[in-house]
Amino acid sequence: MSIASRRRTSTVITYVLLALLAVYTLFPFLWMVMSALKPANEIRARTPSFLIAAPTLDNFVRVLVQHDFLVYIRNSLVVSLAACALSLVISLLAGYVFSRNYRMKAVQTTNFAMLVSQMIPGVLLLVPLYITMRNLGLLDSYGALILAYTTFVIPLSTFMLSSAYDSIPTSLEEAAEIDGASRLRTLTSVVIPVMVPSIVSVGLYAFITAWNEFMFGYIFTSTDALRTITPAIMLFKGANTVDWGGLMAASVIAVLPVAIIFLFLQRYFISGLMSGAVKG
Amino acid sequence: MQSMRVGDVSRTRSNRRFTILALAPAWLFLAALIGYPLVSVLTDAFSHAHLVNGDVGGFAGLENFEKVVSDPHFGPAVRNTLVWTVGSVVGEFVIGLGAAVLLNVRVRGQGFFRVATFIPWLVPIVVAGMTWEWILNPDFGIFNSLLTQSGLVESPINFLGDKNWAMATVVFVNIWRTFPYYTISFLAAMQAIPNELYEAASLDGAGAWRRFWSVTMPQLRSVSLIIVFIHLIWTAVNFDFIWVMTQGGPNYATITLPILIYRYSLQQYDVGAASALSTLMLIATSLVFVVYYRYRRRLSEETVG
Repeated sequence: MSIASRRRTSTVITYVLLALLAVYTLFPFLWMVMSALKPANEIRARTPSFLIAAPTLDNFVRVLVQHDFLVYIRNSLVVSLAACALSLVISLLAGYVFSRNYRMKAVQTTNFAMLVSQMIPGVLLLVPLYITMRNLGLLDSYGALILAYTTFVIPLSTFMLSSAYDSIPTSLEEAAEIDGASRLRTLTSVVIPVMVPSIVSVGLYAFITAWNEFMFGYIFTSTDALRTITPAIMLFKGANTVDWGGLMAASVIAVLPVAIIFLFLQRYFISGLMSGAVKG
Repeated sequence: MQSMRVGDVSRTRSNRRFTILALAPAWLFLAALIGYPLVSVLTDAFSHAHLVNGDVGGFAGLENFEKVVSDPHFGPAVRNTLVWTVGSVVGEFVIGLGAAVLLNVRVRGQGFFRVATFIPWLVPIVVAGMTWEWILNPDFGIFNSLLTQSGLVESPINFLGDKNWAMATVVFVNIWRTFPYYTISFLAAMQAIPNELYEAASLDGAGAWRRFWSVTMPQLRSVSLIIVFIHLIWTAVNFDFIWVMTQGGPNYATITLPILIYRYSLQQYDVGAASALSTLMLIATSLVFVVYYRYRRRLSEETVG
């Protein structure tokens, strides 16, 4: 075989494999959206079809109106945005000293503690966390979820932001310092404005983690009015019957905000995630 | 001279104060919501404790541990946790690496394929679990319909309802959702490999396969170590996936240790037993962490010199 034709075959093979990969990752979404648009009789067809005979928005209407999904969306938004803001403030501060004062004992200890804390996941602390939240009177409130989500994203957010600070020259701060600005002032008015892309990616990470979290939302809230979207989806799974059309419509609604944000900001997101993951 | 030294001292002191203040909020959160609960788990494991009835109390010695270990579901749960963890991590690693190699090839539409690959990782676990449950449904699911139509199987398989299939099915869904994380990590590491290494290998007559094993793989060692160990721990303690898809069933076929912890605590209200089991899991994950930490030290010493 000539080199050119060999190269052509390998390109074809690459495309075939890439297409298979895309089918593997995207098919469930495609099927989710299609099922959400199918009327009840087509959902329950013995042989499911790739075409929708009579597309309908009934499932979405039912989910939003009858099942109060607007309330769950609002709850998820409030909790995720609050957790996102809170964890950004905390890890912007911690990440800064992680980057600038790495040699200090206090910083190294904190770094190690954060690394370890990333390895102690929620389920092992479920019981005492539940009891703590109950004692604080925070069960069935946004507070319990905001505090829990913030805590569990702090380590990775700090690692991500500290590596972002690493790429900003200290001369920038020194100039401000000579002008007589305080450390905090320098940080907020000189350093942070340069960090916007990294802050966006860390904020996204925190928001998406909170939006997608299930276990704490499921266990810390039992009032319907405060339920977040992921535990609400689980409610569709009844003991005997499942409203699959409604369930798939609800799933589309839960995925949509994250998918839209991601499509716009994927460049920042992936690079930010990587710098944190490799470092941590 | 003198004044400079005084200036230095006050400078270090103010630097120190700033550092402590900047770290304080993070410490506060970590201490209250991870440190304190961690201590409670360790002490409750040796106490009689009930979630609802506050009168239950007192030192229990090893009673909780005996109870947990002699539970007939303990053995199967340990075995299931191992199958679930190792099966998931191996599958994620293989598919994640394969996808990274593919996505690293320069082709048209690379951006699209990269985004498409990353998408499963963005989906809430509940949505991933439920959507696959729908696809794999024995009565109306598309996958079973395709299997029977093509004649591959005679009658639909009840993937999540059949105890022989349930574990493999939840592992499969977990791999689907988690492998993109590996892919992105591998891709980032691959892009950091200098091109000269490949050129030199090509000049020496190494084919694509050989270049992969002798150039790419060694460069991925450090990132592989990190993701594999992190995911061993994260997968072993994962509650959501199995709870959403099977709740440990059918007939305990997919019961894992985190599901048992949930059952002890929020269904039987036995905080002592739940804490004892959590403590056992903490010991196991700490051992994994120690091994990881040592490897990582050794590896960074090797690479830094």
